[in-house]
Amino acid sequence: MMGPVKPGGGFQGQNFLLIFLIIVIIIVVIIIVYFVIKKRKKKKGQEKLREHAYKGIKSREDIKSIYTPTGTSTSENKNEKNDTMIKLENLTKYYGKYLAVDNVSFEVHSGEVIGLVGPNGAGKTTIIKMIAKLLRPSSGRIWVRDNQGELKDLNKKSRNLVKLGFLIDIPAFYKDMTAYQILKYSALLQRYPREKINDRIDELLKIFDLIDWKHEKVKTFSKGMTQKLGMIQSIIHDPEIIILDEPQTGLDPLARIDIRRIIKEFHRNGKTIFVASHMLAEISEVCEKIALINFGVIIAFDTIDNLERGLRTSGLNCKLLDPISPDQLGSIIKKLTERLEPYLDKDLDVLVSKIPIKYIPQKRSFKIFYDTTDSKQTRAEILKILVKEFESDFTVVSFSKPKKSSQLEQIYSRLIAEDKVEIELSKGGVN
Amino acid sequence: MEKFEDGLKFAYLEVKPVIHTFVFELKKQWKKFVGFLVISVLIVVLQSFILYALFSDSLLPTTHSDYLSGGLIFLTSFIILFASCFFFAGIICAEFSDKTGYILFPKINKYKLIIGKYLGNLFLEAGVIAIFYFLVGFLSYFFYDQFSGTLLIRYFISFVFAFLYMIAMSSFVTFFSSFMRSVNVTIVSTILILFIGFNISQMFLMMLAPEIEPIYSLSYISTLITSILLIEFPDPNYSEISLQNFTFRTWLTPTIEMGLLVLFLYITIGFILAAYLFKRRQL
Ligand SMILES: Nc1ncnc2c1ncn2[C@@H]1O[C@H](COP(=O)(O)OP(=O)(O)O)[C@@H](O)[C@H]1O
Ligand SMILES: [Mg+2]
Repeated sequence: MMGPVKPGGGFQGQNFLLIFLIIVIIIVVIIIVYFVIKKRKKKKGQEKLREHAYKGIKSREDIKSIYTPTGTSTSENKNEKNDTMIKLENLTKYYGKYLAVDNVSFEVHSGEVIGLVGPNGAGKTTIIKMIAKLLRPSSGRIWVRDNQGELKDLNKKSRNLVKLGFLIDIPAFYKDMTAYQILKYSALLQRYPREKINDRIDELLKIFDLIDWKHEKVKTFSKGMTQKLGMIQSIIHDPEIIILDEPQTGLDPLARIDIRRIIKEFHRNGKTIFVASHMLAEISEVCEKIALINFGVIIAFDTIDNLERGLRTSGLNCKLLDPISPDQLGSIIKKLTERLEPYLDKDLDVLVSKIPIKYIPQKRSFKIFYDTTDSKQTRAEILKILVKEFESDFTVVSFSKPKKSSQLEQIYSRLIAEDKVEIELSKGGVN
Repeated sequence: MEKFEDGLKFAYLEVKPVIHTFVFELKKQWKKFVGFLVISVLIVVLQSFILYALFSDSLLPTTHSDYLSGGLIFLTSFIILFASCFFFAGIICAEFSDKTGYILFPKINKYKLIIGKYLGNLFLEAGVIAIFYFLVGFLSYFFYDQFSGTLLIRYFISFVFAFLYMIAMSSFVTFFSSFMRSVNVTIVSTILILFIGFNISQMFLMMLAPEIEPIYSLSYISTLITSILLIEFPDPNYSEISLQNFTFRTWLTPTIEMGLLVLFLYITIGFILAAYLFKRRQL
């Protein structure tokens, strides 16, 4: 059977058949035993799952104990100059020909909580994977601080970088291992002192309410529990910088609140946190600064206050009765710009819009960015001009400024939406 | 002296992640070990003991070395092959297909990770082989006199060859695992190549160019494991049959030096390529 005849082997044809039969029987028996055991185990796991009800994270005191504070408090840190923890420099990533991350640059300073917010597919996970060295950037560089306080190129080999903790995408663990085994291995690999590991694991499991599951296999875990385990493994070695990718995925509302509380607690202890999410509301409360990303491009990077201020600018929406035909559009916009000149926003942020008057065909409306110094008066003047002098060109049906109420969420959706419209328009222009 | 100690300490710190990975891998894979062990023990007991105990007159090989080589055939032709495929097929590609690597890669250098995992699996597989050898040797006492000195030494050398053959196969499977997408495809394709591919190519070679020794074939090399037990090592290491005006040549077994060389090449090239591809591989 295998190659040439074995010289002198005591192995004759007739017993081969016998042996073969016996082996088949053995294998069948083994398989049956295996499935019986497996089924019984599964039952046990399900019973346990039923018993388990979410009790929520324990008091703040509990959470507090999981960090060693970084010394300097946050407010002091902010005033220091050279406290960059992570620096992205013209980071670009292509998947084949698809540009997933486009020339992204920003810095994360010590003690900051930065949110990376953008719709699904914006490139958030790609950026984080590059920081975690799971992906090589197509171009650009990533710098991370080392223990001496200098920035080191992540691409070069360097030993003593500041400790980083990652939660990337939806975490996946070896299915047949228990939570305890996985966490212990994680901690050992990251040189957490061996004698403290067991206490640390218990502590974290208690905080995340997984202590009953310490010795259960990960394959019996629900999605939310796996996510929590991912969170625990990212902070098991008490890192300086914590990078979280959609930490709320798969968690129930209570657990989401807990995640926010934990992030806040980290922040209070001077840790640096970089958290990505497609839901602004989930993280806006805990983040100091937000980087908005869409189609791989950072379209805004600022504090939440500034984002709100900048965007409250003053886009007037002016809805029309009939759509404007494309061949007329140019001349009408030109005329509008001339006539409304004194009232338009002079230092319009290019991140908001590049031109002060925009026509949005889908909404059949103009968007006019006006000067807000004397806002009521200006609006009245604009309306007057639009109605009187453009009577022959179009009919205004409604005239509104953006609602102030759900500001941030709106800013987000608007920024993203405008980005899209602009892209669509520019695409249409090309064709 | 102090420098030397510092060096040692440094080396220890460097090696530590490998050790942790090794231990973790043992815990992760021990079930497979138990599975292969159970199968091995059953096969050995059935084939090398019960069968001969029942039909001792008609089946029992005449010489001790024939008994041993007969007892090892299942190991060399099935167990090592399947164990290598099942232990090693997922060693790299499962980290990507199951995404378990996303959690590990930021924590540990990929070379250290693969070395730790490789050694862990080898350790378990070697355990299976050692127990198999021990059992076959032990059971032979029921039918023959004590091992003669030479045969015992030969038996030990045969074990070393089986061990090297196992490492070579494992390296080969590891190499496949480093670029394959899924574990199952890796298992199927490596089994096909190692089990059928080599033999078929050997057959073609025998027909087309009988004077070329198929040293590239791991299954040909594996014949060394049992032929080393023969007190008279085959020389020349092929047999020829003449039919009319055509001569067929059947290669029996490689020379020891050639066998060692080929196994060594498989081991090193397979593993180094695998480690390099693993290092380069992204999601
Ligand atoms: N491995 C991959 N191969 C090809 N395209 C990918 C790959 N991973 C992600 N992408 C694409 O890159 C874009 C960004 O993905 P991702 O970074 O996961 O977005 P986010 O995390 O913001 O939702 C998406 O359009 C996605 O389809
Ligand atoms: Mg994502």
